[in-house]
Amino acid sequence: MFLSRPRSTADTRLAWLFAAPALGVITTIAAFPVVWTFWESLHLHDLRMPWLARPFVGAANYREAISDPRAWSALAHTIAFTGGTVTLELGVGLVLALALSRTRPGIGVLRTAALLPWAIPTVVAALVWRFIFESPGGFANALLSKAGLMEAAPAWFSDPYAAWVPIVLADVWRTTPFMALLLLAGLQSIDPSLYEAAALDGAGQLRQTIDITLPLLRPAMLAAVVFRSLDAFRVFDVVYVMTGGGPGTATEPLSLFAFRVLFRDLRFGYGAALSVLVFVVSFSLALLWLRLTRLNEEE
Amino acid sequence: MALREPVLRASIACVSILAAVVLAGSCRGGSGAPVLTISGSAVGREADLLQRQIARFEAAHPPLRIEIQPTPDASDDRHQLYVQWLNAHADDPDVLQLDVVWTAEFAAAGWILDLERFAPALSDFFPAAAESVRWNSRPYALPWFVDVGMLYWRTDLMAEPPRTFTELAGIAARSIASGRVPYGLVWQGARYEGLVTVFLEYLSGFGGRILDERGAVAVDSDAAVGALTMMRDQIVAQKIVPSAVLTWQEEQVRFAFQNAQAAFMRNWPYAYPLLEDAARSRVAGRFAVAAMPAGEGGASGAALGGSQLAVNAYSDRPDAAYALVAYLTEPAQMLERAEAVGQFPARESLYGKGPLAAALAIDPAAAREIISRAVVRPVTPVYAELSEILQIHLHRVLTRQEEPRPGLREAADAMRRLFNRTRLAAS
Repeated sequence: MFLSRPRSTADTRLAWLFAAPALGVITTIAAFPVVWTFWESLHLHDLRMPWLARPFVGAANYREAISDPRAWSALAHTIAFTGGTVTLELGVGLVLALALSRTRPGIGVLRTAALLPWAIPTVVAALVWRFIFESPGGFANALLSKAGLMEAAPAWFSDPYAAWVPIVLADVWRTTPFMALLLLAGLQSIDPSLYEAAALDGAGQLRQTIDITLPLLRPAMLAAVVFRSLDAFRVFDVVYVMTGGGPGTATEPLSLFAFRVLFRDLRFGYGAALSVLVFVVSFSLALLWLRLTRLNEEE
Repeated sequence: MALREPVLRASIACVSILAAVVLAGSCRGGSGAPVLTISGSAVGREADLLQRQIARFEAAHPPLRIEIQPTPDASDDRHQLYVQWLNAHADDPDVLQLDVVWTAEFAAAGWILDLERFAPALSDFFPAAAESVRWNSRPYALPWFVDVGMLYWRTDLMAEPPRTFTELAGIAARSIASGRVPYGLVWQGARYEGLVTVFLEYLSGFGGRILDERGAVAVDSDAAVGALTMMRDQIVAQKIVPSAVLTWQEEQVRFAFQNAQAAFMRNWPYAYPLLEDAARSRVAGRFAVAAMPAGEGGASGAALGGSQLAVNAYSDRPDAAYALVAYLTEPAQMLERAEAVGQFPARESLYGKGPLAAALAIDPAAAREIISRAVVRPVTPVYAELSEILQIHLHRVLTRQEEPRPGLREAADAMRRLFNRTRLAAS
């Protein structure tokens, strides 16, 4: 159907008019804060020191971030946490999804049960895991010594490396069900006739999984990994509750560092610069994943 | 139209109600009685006590009315709220309850009133408390109540408390060896403000300071290295302090001591009445308090905590606000506070007389002895950041990620950079 040109312009105008409220909302709640944060990051603005006023300082806040070893180690912690948890979640989630995809009596109850950890608020889950690992008489240490695995159980939260164990465990425990759910959806979109054909050709269970399930599950896996990575990159609550970033700053991720600078030190300029950096890194991560997905589809 | 009219009328009604509410809100205190607002801890027995005292003040100062503006009890949250209000030059609340470490910050920012014009008599207060309300040698607040760190010791494990860290280590080791307690000493070792107060007491015991008299950074001195090495060695070498304290705050420390798991505990006075409660405490009647021990070249010290009352610089009624501050910090109100909620009066003269003995769980003479050793945390507008720098490096040293000397040197360098950045460097 072709429309005459003048009418098309009128339609376009009308379309813009209709879209205007939505665009306005997006601008106010998405674009404006980002632009404002960027503008703020170019100023020296310390709420507690009105005598310094609010001078424009250009890239000084970014220079400080780049020369701040605490910011770099926070970035390293964030990347390590993201890589570690997402890998574990993908592995465990895949096994869980494969197990849950079988149709057998009572599977509905099982699926619901597997989702339970996801339904628990992060702060509550983190507190529970902290109690498990905290104190020499905690559950984790009691279990380890009963199994004869460890003579002197470590003080988990005062060791810069051991402190990561409870944090990663808590996060994996809580978010694997979400990963499994996404993968399960992917599994169920695979045409069952493919398996029937494979079975006719004499392919075993393992062969079917490797040659049919995994390749066809790739888009779902990619999407799940993107979601979880972006989420994990902004990790805050688990660490805040469990270690507060300690011992020292050994488990402090970027968002917790930015939070401290912003809301404890009330250094809005520097905090804004850190937030912009987090935004830029996670945005480029998202772009990278999008590009990978597109490549995947083109194949 | 018939359908739209009621809708229209309803909307008009709604809008007028809303407008009335907004107007009523903004007119509050404008036409009627003058209203003062005070903000601070307003929960439980503290709230009841404050209500009683305020009612008496109102009765004596008609037609003034006082409103309590509740603020979060968590120190960081209240601080953040105050800073946001005062940054916006809010004239409410007129009277602010400040933590001892905030006064310099608020005074330097011009947010609280210089009280010099009211000529407050500060000589009656403990010297440390009086020092903590001053900024650039002018008074900006009045001490309300004081808090001090002290050593709780078990009277069934020793005849008298140790005076030095060496003595303490000996008693602690013997108590552990005899199998009567699993831990020697417990203190607040998590990475938070409490760790700084514990360090300050060790530091004082070794004769060191965080900032020297001129305000220059001195936390990398030999005395400071000695103090921090002592803290670390108590955990890793002498093994009298459990490494679990590195995640403990006040309450976990109290539970350990209350369950008879430690020979000594460093804590604030609030723990005393709780430990005496025989229904919950296994050490009721078997403990006493003393000043923290001293090390080499220093004197025993007690970190000063507590609260002060200041007047908002943007207040509409500064004179009335100061009158309220003066009233609440009078001896009679302090005694009542000690009796009702167990907080230590900030006036030294009260400790010589009878009524305080009936009000406090701890013997006033012993309390006075400890408070007289009180050490003030650095009085600087950037205390919060200074403390965070210290917390990080103290915790790194105690968790063996850094050695005491380089750790403290890094902390000192970071503090010097902080002073330069904020143009507060010592001249």
